[in-house]
Amino acid sequence: MTRLAILTALMASLTTAAVQAADAPAEIKLGTLYASSGRFASISMPVHYGLKLWIDQKNADGGVYVKAFNKKIPLKLTAYDDQSNTATAATLYNQLITQDKVDILIADSGSVLTSVAVPIARDHKMFLVDQTGTGANFFTPDNPYIALIADPVSSIWPKPLADFLTHDGPGLGIKRVAMLYATNDFTGTQANAVRKFIKESNSGVELVFDEGVPTETSNYTVLLNNIRASNPDAVLHLGYASNDIAFLHNVQDSGIKFKFLFCIYPGLETELLEKNVGAKGLDYVFTYMPASQIAYQTNFGMSLQEFSAAWHKKYADTHVEFGFNSVAGYTTGLVLEKALANASSLDQLELRKAVFSLSGNLKTLDGTFELDPNGAQIGEFTPLGQFVAGADDHPKLVTVWPHDLANGKPIYPRP
Amino acid sequence: MFTYSLLAGLLFGLYFSLIGLGLNLVFGVMRIVNLAHGDFLMLGAFLAFWLFTLFALNPVPAIVIAFLVFASVGLPLYYLLVPRLLRAKDPEMLSFILFFGLSQVIEAVTTIAFGTSERSIPGDQLGHAVAAVAGFFAGHKVDTGPVELLGQTFPASWVASGVASGCAVLLVYVYLYRTRLGYLTRAVMDNREEAIATGINVHRVSAVAFGIGLGLAAAAGVFAPFMLGSITPAMGGEVTVTAFAVIVIGSLGNPLGTVLGGIVYGISYMFMQSYYSSWANLLPYVLLIAILLVRPSGLLGRRVRRA
Repeated sequence: MTRLAILTALMASLTTAAVQAADAPAEIKLGTLYASSGRFASISMPVHYGLKLWIDQKNADGGVYVKAFNKKIPLKLTAYDDQSNTATAATLYNQLITQDKVDILIADSGSVLTSVAVPIARDHKMFLVDQTGTGANFFTPDNPYIALIADPVSSIWPKPLADFLTHDGPGLGIKRVAMLYATNDFTGTQANAVRKFIKESNSGVELVFDEGVPTETSNYTVLLNNIRASNPDAVLHLGYASNDIAFLHNVQDSGIKFKFLFCIYPGLETELLEKNVGAKGLDYVFTYMPASQIAYQTNFGMSLQEFSAAWHKKYADTHVEFGFNSVAGYTTGLVLEKALANASSLDQLELRKAVFSLSGNLKTLDGTFELDPNGAQIGEFTPLGQFVAGADDHPKLVTVWPHDLANGKPIYPRP
Repeated sequence: MFTYSLLAGLLFGLYFSLIGLGLNLVFGVMRIVNLAHGDFLMLGAFLAFWLFTLFALNPVPAIVIAFLVFASVGLPLYYLLVPRLLRAKDPEMLSFILFFGLSQVIEAVTTIAFGTSERSIPGDQLGHAVAAVAGFFAGHKVDTGPVELLGQTFPASWVASGVASGCAVLLVYVYLYRTRLGYLTRAVMDNREEAIATGINVHRVSAVAFGIGLGLAAAAGVFAPFMLGSITPAMGGEVTVTAFAVIVIGSLGNPLGTVLGGIVYGISYMFMQSYYSSWANLLPYVLLIAILLVRPSGLLGRRVRRA
């Protein structure tokens, strides 16, 4: 009798496995957008290349293991070029869902090009794999169809910066802060957060200049003059890479010496920024320390060093620089790999459940993957760093806040 | 703040005069809209970037090189594209489509060649040139840093760009009003059919104007890394739109009206940045609509064009 029961169970499991394998698709269809031109190309292409690197690695290994079908299945990437245009992006997101019928929908890089995907994915009940669209308003309790994978939500990015200004700042003589930001979801949210953190600190630090400019701004000379007129102790510029390049150029060319200067992208895309503004332009600039600058302990996927080597080997002949966004694209792949290994089907809410199950447990080269209940990324962290003169003519980035992670002292005022 | 914005607007506006000058010359002579104008500016910018990167060539000689190279490119390009276009029933409308296509091709090829990332030339390169010129006139060594104008400090690159733009406007003026080819160009601008009837070789005149138009765009491109933050293959479209607004403000078809259009745009833009910074980028469109509603022929209108 026992033998019969075992035999029956074995037969049943074999039959199930055979049915699963027979139902398995020939490929898992991933759909995404990238911007090969336009304002967001320099942050989109590295993310796209990072994701492609993961896909190529997995396909070379026979595909990715999918628990729902108990086998490895090759990945097929359908990717369209939105040319940094939100209207084009909206059409193409729809096309990926309704025409290409992708299994997994992955947003383009950055908040601007992700913003149009959020309502489209929600309307079609597609789970949006949001790579680096960090706008805090994307994540609401009534929308289960989104999770931010490879970048902390914008509202927590400036916490270390604001903490430094409000804790150590007054002791250093920082009381008057000027903030200039680009009016988009990514930097607009950060500006709101800075305002909130400074206000709540009751540290005596005040915002003496607080202006928004369009993301397309490419000339800051007059704005710099206005900032200088407000006599700030610290200047924060929150913009995309092209904004930071123009801003730092104008700071250099105007001959203005701010005592404390913070920009986002010198840390995120150091190669790109150094090529454009030179090592001198980055001297003593404060910035975020992203995952491309810190070797986190991993429990899944390549380490930062291994990934950097793989990237430079694969993309040596391209014009796409290595930086934080490269790490982000690869991290998206790692999270998908883990999720597919956990999900019992390719149903969109089941995929969501699988992604959320990784929260707090997955440690990649991007840091600890942790989601809040609305899908906002809160585990990955952006300490405050500062560029100091390096030994080989390249500026060296050191962490200055928080104190327990710091490997250098802040240099203030900027020499 | 007011004085600084005003002077900055003047310098910035002079630069946009240079950007719009070639576009307006081409429209004035041929009645076609070169939607690839900004892309030729972008190519001029990349030419300057590579001349600097490969040969450490200062941007100042690159202005002359860019002008000559693209003026030379413009002549055969004119004969390849424009005569056929002008034979069509509605050349103005068809020119939109043709040059939009050309713009897309230029952008795509440049992206393949140079990638999508931003590129720059160090700002002090133009500072060196300004310091050398200032030192020559002052008789002693002058610093390469920012330049003081009426008590306000501006980047040397802005001053260099303003001076170069002023020179370019002057040269176009001399060409149009003091040379035989310029007289013929103005005759074609005034009435193409009458010019043909009087035996003017309209195609030769137009080809030269087209070449000058592209040359001016490329020369303006040399300043783009300094005035527009950085350069990318995709920058052309935005530049074309702004240049179009500038020439409509000044007067379509009147190259010298472009100077007025550029200055109005530059000063308005800087005041917007100072007082309503979030809305600054709406300005070209607002000015465009306002001018079309209030004075459709532009600030200088036809009277000056026929002078």
